[in-house]
Amino acid sequence: MIVPALIGGLPRPVSLSKKLEQYYLGRLGEEKLEEAYRAHTKRAFENLRKAGIRVITDGLYRWDDIFNPFIRFVDGVEVNGLFKFYENNFFYRSPVVRGELSLRDNPIPEWLSVALDLKEEVYPGATLKAVLPGPVTLAYHSINEAYKNLDELVEAYAEVLRELLKDLPLELVELQEPALAAELSRATKEKTDEVTPDLAKAVIERLARVKRIWVVTYFGTPRVLPEGVILNVDLVEGSVPQEYRGELGIGVVNARETKMERRDRLVDRIKPLLRKHGKLYVTPNTLLDFLPESVAWRKLKLLGKLGGE
Amino acid sequence: MELPILPTSIIGSYPKPRWLLRMYSLYELGRLPKEDFEEAVKDASVSVLREHERAGIDIPWDGEMGRSEMTEYFTAKISGFRFYGPVRVWGNAYFNKAAAVSKLEYREPLVLEEFGWVKANTTREIVKVPITGPYTIAEWSFNEYYPSKEELAFDLAKILNREFKALEREGASFIQIDEPAMLNHPDEVPMAVEAINRAVKGVKVKFGLHVCYSNYHLFADYFDDIKVSQFALEFANRNFRDMDYLKKLTHQELGFGAVDVHNPRVESPEEVAKAIRKVMEYIEPERLYVNPDCGLKLLDRRIAYQKLVNLVKGVQIVRRELARSGKETVPFRRSV
Repeated sequence: MIVPALIGGLPRPVSLSKKLEQYYLGRLGEEKLEEAYRAHTKRAFENLRKAGIRVITDGLYRWDDIFNPFIRFVDGVEVNGLFKFYENNFFYRSPVVRGELSLRDNPIPEWLSVALDLKEEVYPGATLKAVLPGPVTLAYHSINEAYKNLDELVEAYAEVLRELLKDLPLELVELQEPALAAELSRATKEKTDEVTPDLAKAVIERLARVKRIWVVTYFGTPRVLPEGVILNVDLVEGSVPQEYRGELGIGVVNARETKMERRDRLVDRIKPLLRKHGKLYVTPNTLLDFLPESVAWRKLKLLGKLGGE
Repeated sequence: MELPILPTSIIGSYPKPRWLLRMYSLYELGRLPKEDFEEAVKDASVSVLREHERAGIDIPWDGEMGRSEMTEYFTAKISGFRFYGPVRVWGNAYFNKAAAVSKLEYREPLVLEEFGWVKANTTREIVKVPITGPYTIAEWSFNEYYPSKEELAFDLAKILNREFKALEREGASFIQIDEPAMLNHPDEVPMAVEAINRAVKGVKVKFGLHVCYSNYHLFADYFDDIKVSQFALEFANRNFRDMDYLKKLTHQELGFGAVDVHNPRVESPEEVAKAIRKVMEYIEPERLYVNPDCGLKLLDRRIAYQKLVNLVKGVQIVRRELARSGKETVPFRRSV
């Protein structure tokens, strides 16, 4: 069975960005901004329904990148300068870890409750999952000034995430973990420390005891294979490790190029994996933020057409 | 030609006046005639140029008032590109990322008119013309036509070389190539270097190269291979940490990023002076220019202006210190 699914967010619509711009200038109140978020999320759910995407996210319209605003709700973290997100023309504000990490009161569970209500209203048949940055990727993209090494930082982030997971109104949670597959690009900074693979695996498997976890990797082949999770692998820039036997999502459409894939070629690519795994989630290979909105939706429609037995 | 020691300059962009942004919107909606829009751009250009000069900047520009964005502006003028819509760069900032759908050709001058206008209106002898480099345009475009990125980048280098020659003929003396993406793929850096070198070939003006938000330790290995006389880099964003790679900058000049363009806090003149003293531990003052980290366009205009004012004041503090040892001017060097 093939299940079309979304990973990460959707490109933030320009109409929503204009509302945010007005909000930042003090020309739009918080209530109106919230209305805009809800209206755009609802529209996204309607479009995902039309496209036939069965497992969805809220589009991450409230997020600036996969780390923000989550890191703003963590004590011990200061939000600092801009860094390139791997080799993309896409930048994130870097977390600077200055002290012991702990979760602050935060609106993420409430945002997801709102999204869940909207989903029930317009697309009850879909499964909604939450999206959070994974502990390994968080650690690699932080400037660590407080913990002895990256392993300790991963553990600290995992504890913060565990607290947050418990509060979420959704059972399925996607952890963005490109760092399990992609080398931290030298484009941004020198790698000075590494996360021990066994620790990365154990930490993620521990989180999978709190909620059902969907680990999303991209920009390479995952080198850490957690068990008891859905593992998403980027088939454009990586491959599924032979030894992997668990539930599988595959990133088959290229979210970094506008050129449209041919459906027949995608089917040829999927068939051998389908024979081996029985059930497959088909997804974009990475975040759709890298594409213009119109192209992203065309690619999602193509994914939707792959769905079925 | 002599310049005051530690010449001050800008990187390129500057906040557009709100009224100009409104003109952009009206023009895009077809509710403003082209000639009115162009007049508005020219008025804004002079206004920002004056602002740079009033702040005390030695080598100004007009803040790219006529440019919608740093790649889109160029790709819109080159045949062979098409647009599908905006793509987010960070936070709430977007750009229209073009797709190369056929062979790229030089269709019209890219910045010649802009340069002529600034040159005619500035009170300074030298202005800096910022132009996005061939590798970055290639890297920040979708490629639906070329078999490889290299071919795409080299065709862009050819187009830029033609523009640089035209600028030289019109009297430009300082061109800055902006290559924020050139370190994106470490294994492609030699290709980026080759594209830049092809773009500057046979052009006798001063070339600077601006690279930001990247791994400068990787970049430093290529300093000697790149045929430019200045590297304009970002330092304030990384809190002036980790500057040892500058030991590899042995003969070219450094454009030192002394104020952060992504943080609205205005650095004090003393902070700027302290940062300059720190970089002088690596680079002698005769090879130092001082500029913001990057383009200032995402800041509030008043803040951007105040940052330039304090940047110049900070430079003046250090200039007074240098004057005590007789270091007061430097020659404007086209090549090193």
